[in-house]
Amino acid sequence: MNSASMRASSVLSQFWKYVFAALLITFVTVILFVLRGLLDTSIIALLYLIPLGVITAYWGAGPGITGALLCFLTFNYFFIEPYHTLAVHRPTDVVILVIFLIVAVVISQLVGRAQAGLAAATAREREATQLYELSTALTGLHDDQTIARILAKQVHAVAEGEYVELNITGSRSLRFRLPDTDPPVRPPELIVPIEAARGTLGEIRLWRADRAISPGEKRLLQTFASQGALALERAWLAQAESRAQVLEESDQLKTAILSSVSHELRTPLSTIKAAASSLRGGEVRWDSPARAELIAAIDDEADHLNLLVGNLLDMSRIESGALKPKRDWNILAEIIGSVLARMKHLAVEHKLEIDVPESLPLIPVDYVQTQQVFTNLISNSLKYAPPNSMVRIRARVEGEMIHVQVSNQSPQVPIQDLERIFDKFYRITAADRVTGTGLGLSICKGIVEAHGGRIWAENISDGLAFNFTLPLTWDGAKPPQLPIDTEME
Amino acid sequence: MSNAPHILVIDDEPQILRAIRTILTEKQFRVTTASRGEEGLTLAATNEPDLIILDLGLPDMDGVEVCTRLREWTQMPIIILSVRDSERDKVAALDMGADDYLTKPFGIEELLARVRVALRHAASRKGEQSKVVKAGSLTIDLAWHIVKRGDEEVKLTGIEYRLLAHLAANHDRVLTHQSILSHVWGPEDADHTEYLRVYMRQLRKKLEEDPERPQFILTEPGIGYRFLADD
Repeated sequence: MNSASMRASSVLSQFWKYVFAALLITFVTVILFVLRGLLDTSIIALLYLIPLGVITAYWGAGPGITGALLCFLTFNYFFIEPYHTLAVHRPTDVVILVIFLIVAVVISQLVGRAQAGLAAATAREREATQLYELSTALTGLHDDQTIARILAKQVHAVAEGEYVELNITGSRSLRFRLPDTDPPVRPPELIVPIEAARGTLGEIRLWRADRAISPGEKRLLQTFASQGALALERAWLAQAESRAQVLEESDQLKTAILSSVSHELRTPLSTIKAAASSLRGGEVRWDSPARAELIAAIDDEADHLNLLVGNLLDMSRIESGALKPKRDWNILAEIIGSVLARMKHLAVEHKLEIDVPESLPLIPVDYVQTQQVFTNLISNSLKYAPPNSMVRIRARVEGEMIHVQVSNQSPQVPIQDLERIFDKFYRITAADRVTGTGLGLSICKGIVEAHGGRIWAENISDGLAFNFTLPLTWDGAKPPQLPIDTEME
Repeated sequence: MSNAPHILVIDDEPQILRAIRTILTEKQFRVTTASRGEEGLTLAATNEPDLIILDLGLPDMDGVEVCTRLREWTQMPIIILSVRDSERDKVAALDMGADDYLTKPFGIEELLARVRVALRHAASRKGEQSKVVKAGSLTIDLAWHIVKRGDEEVKLTGIEYRLLAHLAANHDRVLTHQSILSHVWGPEDADHTEYLRVYMRQLRKKLEEDPERPQFILTEPGIGYRFLADD
């Protein structure tokens, strides 16, 4: 018997089982009564065993035994002489009747017991399957929201309740409801606490009015709750561990910053100090060309110092997640133009080729941060690419994104380093050969990712290309339309 | 000497005060300094300087608030100083009535240029406003609504002209996105920065030699725009 029909028969109330048993016996009795002249009494007794077996098999021992007694009475009344009385005259009939009664009752009990055992085994198997499904669903989850949702769903499905509410209390309190409406006004029929080693984490509240919750179901739900508690604890432990790891990494970052930065900051500082003190000490003649050079050095190095401090600030903002783009609809060409205008004096040794179509839509980006991305990528290209080589900037719409490529003719980067050049303080060239904090590209990465884009580097036929994408939509919104403008009179 | 413009500098860093005072005195300005907001407000009320240089990061009160309280009773020009990445504060102070801003660290020529523009604007506010603004080959006649590039008249749309006229009337001063938008389009459109982007681009195409590297209509990243006119 499959589980669906099991469930269907369990829905049949006990009363109907007895009624069906009586009807079946009546039906068989009618048939046998018609055939009474043709059949022997002992054959009829044997034939009566068939409905009894059927009744016990389908409806259990209770209807079976009742059916046996009923058969005993109808058999005696209709088929044993004298007919239509419960009296018995022939001794052989007495023997047949007694044997019939014993056999009927024994069969009923045996079949009923086997049936009950089968039902229990099926129920146990179902419980085990449900538990297995739950624990499989919870395996590998590290998000307490998802765990709570799955737990509530499984409880809802298994208990066939009308409403399930799952409450997690404490510092990470969360609630999950199924269906997603307000709970019934009356108190829940069952409250199962979610207990873990550290105490109660919360509770599952179940509303089910149509039938009582059996001890077996209660036990199963308690097991569910403890499975859920385990999963939640595991998720929280994993989170705590990853937080600890982040802290450790940021600690390592600080150490790295200190060592790299003290070196980087001291270089311009030494220049400034040397130039300023020599000017002050009167060692340089008023009209000598060296004087102008020293002053220019102070000015340049102060700018450089300012850039370094700015980079460090940006990096710490990216690290702490405080870098929030202040988006506006912007024109990419304008941003690139402003960066190039500012970098004019740096780009004298290189040729620039800009390929940004006029038809590009407005893009929702932070103007200043996007400027920074271009500044860092272009200055990186200028730093590593040989003089007189070409630096190209190209932008295209690709689906929902805009794809920008800044390529140059610098030496190619080993494939295993293509991703690592975006890491903090990562340099392919030794630090003393190229100036900078080693933060430029990782700042680009931080900014692009904060905008919901992606950045990567690739070797191209004659050099290196930086690629990045930026979304064209802003919270799902497309570039806005402008109000109609009219020609001036 | 007593005719020399009087400048009040409010900044809490002694080194900056020292540097600014030295340079401004050298350039024949009279200089008073304050290191706290309250002190600065008192000095502004008693001395009535011609211009205030105000640092946004003061120990006792918010520089934006100093700005607001000054604007309650005076229109004297205010130039704000602030560190990088505080666009929000700069915009707030500018919208609160500050005239211009400088980002630390700044070059001294920049500071002097801003001081001169601010003083000139304060003077023109009192007297007659100039009706014709010149910038390179551009001539903008605000009275007759005529814009010329060289000898040729430039055809502008209604919005383009209103935008250019607003910029030109406030030439050399930084104007925030919000203030331009609410002046040209109306306060209800004050958030539509995209209008500005598009119309500024159109204006640049009509007026600038190289629209990607504008000479007159300058972008102040994260803040707004500035129209650079001839001195």
